[in-house]
Amino acid sequence: MAMILKINDIECSYGTVKVLNGLTFSVGSGSFTGIIGPNGSGKSTLLKSLSRVLKPVKGTVLLDGRALYRMDPQEVAQKMAVVPQETAVNFSFTVKDIVIMGRSPHLGRFQSEGEKDFATARQAMALTDTLHLADRLITAVSGGERQRVIIAKALTQEPEIILLDEPTSHLDINHQIEILSLLQRLNRENNLTIISVFHDLNLAAQYCDSLILMNKGTVFTVGEPAEVLTAGNIKEVYGAVVLVRKHPVTGRPSIILMARDSQIGSKIGRVHVVCGGGAGASLLGLLAGQGYAVSAGVLNAGDVDWETAGFLDISMVDEIPFLPVSEQSHQKNIKLLADADVCILANIPFGWGNLKNLEAVSFALEQTKPVLIIEEQDIKERDFTDGRAGLLYNGLKKKGAVVLHNEAAVLKKLQDLLASKPPAGQ
Amino acid sequence: MNQHDRIWRRRVILFILPGVLGVTVVLCTTIGPAGIAFTDVLTMLLRRIPWIGSLIPRGEWPANYETIVFQMRLARVILAALVGAGLAASGVVLQGLLINPMADPYILGISQGAALGATAAMLSLGGTIALGIYSVPLVAFLCGLATSIIVYNLARVGNRVQMSTLLLAGIAAGLFLSSITSYLMITSGQNAHQILFWMIGGFAGRGWDHVKILLPYILTGYFLMHLYARKLNVILLGEEPAQHLGIDVEKMKKILLAAATLTTASAVSVSGVIAFVGLIIPHAVRMLVGPDHRILLPAAALTGAIFLIIADALARVAAAPEEIPVGIITALCGGPFFIYLLRKRNHPGY
Repeated sequence: MAMILKINDIECSYGTVKVLNGLTFSVGSGSFTGIIGPNGSGKSTLLKSLSRVLKPVKGTVLLDGRALYRMDPQEVAQKMAVVPQETAVNFSFTVKDIVIMGRSPHLGRFQSEGEKDFATARQAMALTDTLHLADRLITAVSGGERQRVIIAKALTQEPEIILLDEPTSHLDINHQIEILSLLQRLNRENNLTIISVFHDLNLAAQYCDSLILMNKGTVFTVGEPAEVLTAGNIKEVYGAVVLVRKHPVTGRPSIILMARDSQIGSKIGRVHVVCGGGAGASLLGLLAGQGYAVSAGVLNAGDVDWETAGFLDISMVDEIPFLPVSEQSHQKNIKLLADADVCILANIPFGWGNLKNLEAVSFALEQTKPVLIIEEQDIKERDFTDGRAGLLYNGLKKKGAVVLHNEAAVLKKLQDLLASKPPAGQ
Repeated sequence: MNQHDRIWRRRVILFILPGVLGVTVVLCTTIGPAGIAFTDVLTMLLRRIPWIGSLIPRGEWPANYETIVFQMRLARVILAALVGAGLAASGVVLQGLLINPMADPYILGISQGAALGATAAMLSLGGTIALGIYSVPLVAFLCGLATSIIVYNLARVGNRVQMSTLLLAGIAAGLFLSSITSYLMITSGQNAHQILFWMIGGFAGRGWDHVKILLPYILTGYFLMHLYARKLNVILLGEEPAQHLGIDVEKMKKILLAAATLTTASAVSVSGVIAFVGLIIPHAVRMLVGPDHRILLPAAALTGAIFLIIADALARVAAAPEEIPVGIITALCGGPFFIYLLRKRNHPGY
């Protein structure tokens, strides 16, 4: 793939503050490249230096093999269009007036727009679905419409490359997808090279074929979304703990944010959770976030609790989907239980398939393990075994299991139980 | 308003305005104490047009009427037209460059600089020595120019000019210079009346000599501004977006600021500080023809010329035989008209 833009060791400063510090990378012709990075990492500054607005104090930017800052600005504008984050226009131009301004780089000083220029503008407006706005005042259209108009203006420039600075950050999700899908279509069908700054990592992952992750004015890493957007990279650059999984439909990386309080704990102790079907997912997250060593079982592969345990790297016993708990799995579950300091029984429904999980909890009680039961619903409403599960469940209560009604109470109880227990190994 | 309407309206305005200007020139040349008839004035003017002029028969009028019409009235009317056109065009350009509809041609402190220069010239030279009638205009012109150059350099960092800093530097320099002018006026005694008259602005006693001084500046200035008309539209999107569209914004700022400054300083030097024309006319015309500078700029220049000719005619007759400085008339019309425009505006934006 030919390189349309080559950036070689550039440094940029605002006064004495150095914002970009030795960046080097290339952008392939016809690619859709995303620039990501935390606030203040220099994304917008980079875009300015690529768009011939902020000259780097050191290093070179090559557009199609020619030094960008030695080219005539008009010539650059014939090849490159820029869409800023937001454009405020206070003067009463119509949408049409604005779009036709995109022809400016192609017009000589004494030249007026001709029929070909109007045709180009009309085509760009058709692509961006703004034709119906043509005679409206730019001051009287919505934010999403205005951004589409600005993109129409950029397309009217007939550029080879288009730079965007968080083009959808002020738009609702529907408009975000609409605009990015439009860009993707232009990228694929018209071979338009697109470089865009993204704040939203999921949007960047969805639409870009290549990502540049910036950190503190330098390139942290470059590559395909799946290589760049790893939990490790994000932790290191953004300082945030996230889950990265494959998007079920597109197969791109998908980033799931964790709440702040679920990543700060460093509690000691091992907890086994008996759950399934999604009843334990949030509890697993909370416990793991608090720092407890967590295990779970027996879970049917593919259900929500199983997936969550997978994300959180929790040791678990799993069973083939829709099959009852086998003797083998049951034994493994008991083994995990025996290793734990506390056992928690989530608010799960019982059928013939997972009755063994209740037996496992009962076994734990016999071993004098503390057992906490989360009871959000009466057992009668979730007993689908003609009373057999209810019998066992009430047996647990009689044998000394502590009944609690929510997760907060569980966390508090755990703290009491494990604080009084001498640390393992003493 | 649909697009068709707009185009039609723009064309009509560009065809009608020169006609209106012509009629205004003739009408306002007619106005005066001598009581010369409109048709006589029209005939006299037409006879001066090369080629066809000789075909028109001379009317029955006393010989001194031609002197009154050509030497006194017409020169003044043309001067008013040039000043009005120059101020209005400069106002359009500065409002566009600063992306600020409150800007006017005096924003760079030209008026205060010129006023100080004129005051100093009147006090020290008495307006009589060396360069004769040119001494006050010349010193005013140079001081106005010097002020705007200082303000420009105050706002310049390296090769870039920050337009918001330019605005503030202009205000600061203006206040500083006016205070010096005020001090000079207070301590000057009997000359204060003459200085005040100059500062309000007017065309009393001006003639063809002034037209000759002014004409090249106004023509050159307007030509430069018109060259950038299309690019001025683009700069209303903001400086960076304009750069993205291939415009060398810093160069454009330099050329346009120089053009507006020369135009304004030369206008001020011959007529004094005439208020409101450079602010009101661009606004009013923009509301009529829209923000496209390719139409706005010529339409504003023509309208400015018409407006100032009429204002000067009023200044001559309103309190005849006494003359009111035209700056008072423009401010009196301008203020209320401006408020009316602002109140009736029914769409967002300018």
